[in-house]
Amino acid sequence: MKTSSQHWILASAIALLVGACATVPPGPPPDVVRLQNDLDRMHSDPRIASNGGAELANADAAVDMLARNERTLQPREYQQGVYIADKLVGIAEASALARYSEQRGMQLGAERERLLAQNAVIETRTTTIVTDAPPPRTIVTEAPPPRTVVTTVASPPRAVRTETGELMPRARAELMAMQNQMPGVESRLDARGLVIRLGDFMFEPGRAELTPTAEQSLDSVARVLRSDNDAGIAIEAYGEDGMALRRANAVRDYLGARGVDSTRVSARTIGYATRNTIADNDRRVDIVIRGDYR
Amino acid sequence: MKRYRLFLLAALAVSGAAAAVDRDTATLELTQAATAVQTAERDDAARYAPADLDEAHAMLDSAQSAADGRNWTDVAIYAERAKVTGDLASSRSRQHRAEAATAEIERSVDSLQHQLGGGAP
Repeated sequence: MKTSSQHWILASAIALLVGACATVPPGPPPDVVRLQNDLDRMHSDPRIASNGGAELANADAAVDMLARNERTLQPREYQQGVYIADKLVGIAEASALARYSEQRGMQLGAERERLLAQNAVIETRTTTIVTDAPPPRTIVTEAPPPRTVVTTVASPPRAVRTETGELMPRARAELMAMQNQMPGVESRLDARGLVIRLGDFMFEPGRAELTPTAEQSLDSVARVLRSDNDAGIAIEAYGEDGMALRRANAVRDYLGARGVDSTRVSARTIGYATRNTIADNDRRVDIVIRGDYR
Repeated sequence: MKRYRLFLLAALAVSGAAAAVDRDTATLELTQAATAVQTAERDDAARYAPADLDEAHAMLDSAQSAADGRNWTDVAIYAERAKVTGDLASSRSRQHRAEAATAEIERSVDSLQHQLGGGAP
């Protein structure tokens, strides 16, 4: 009898507990919790919180509206609300990070300009050219390695020596000297000559307009090319023929507008016909200053 | 801002939607969605946000199929999805482009600092 009473009390307690639980409202659905957590994370990220703007406010409003109305929504309405709120959260994050990067890019651009100016001053102060060495003439510089400075002499040397003692063909040394005058510009020396690379992101998306970053780089390139009127220049644009040609022409026109004689510049496109050599998404433009131009 | 709020308000207003969404509303949604997807394509989303662009295309296709079947509620639902996903693809493209450009400038600055002796090797 005693055991039976205990069972009865226990069963009653469980029933009361279940009843109590049934009256406690359940928490928000997992989708809403996930979206709220995403927003919490974004608000605690200073890059996003300070650059979120209207997009972050929209995402906040959407998730809040969903959380407040989820009980009254039909399943299809609820799913649509979750879908849209999820995308709005993504838009808020991407927009904020884009603004953050753009602002940082502007700050770095200003820093680059400052360093370029500083570099120009140092270059003027420290460069010494030795031209009285016996033939074949070697040209030595006191500037930091691997800088090589070349001077024009009545009887041009076939080879020059860098500060590190390396002998190299004169034409290549001249290209190295040019490269050193363009710090901050993405460039490399290869079999074609001195190659300045403008990546796809240096152009407005899907268009031939140069970005401000590209114009800064081209300003440096034009300054160097103006100082050497003999250098031959080839512009090689990759990608679809029409767009590649427009981008090549945009680069040529920009250099022309900054004093580089357009008759020195040849432009060609390297399209998808040569798929074995370039990727479909390779849309760069190379400015090639030829090493065998003299 | 209002534009996006309208998105969700419209989504929530789909209750009893069959009667609420008429042909004109659905067609307008469809046009806006197509514009958003085209904008994403112009923003080079195929390169920088291909998954989002594919999803936007899929939603737009569903909306157009629903329009063929004159199911205006489905048109509105899928068109809204296509539009917001197209906008997301555009936003992500902008983010990736900005980050790539900033990384390039950062490399330039590092190179200059190194050249001037003030940076890490």
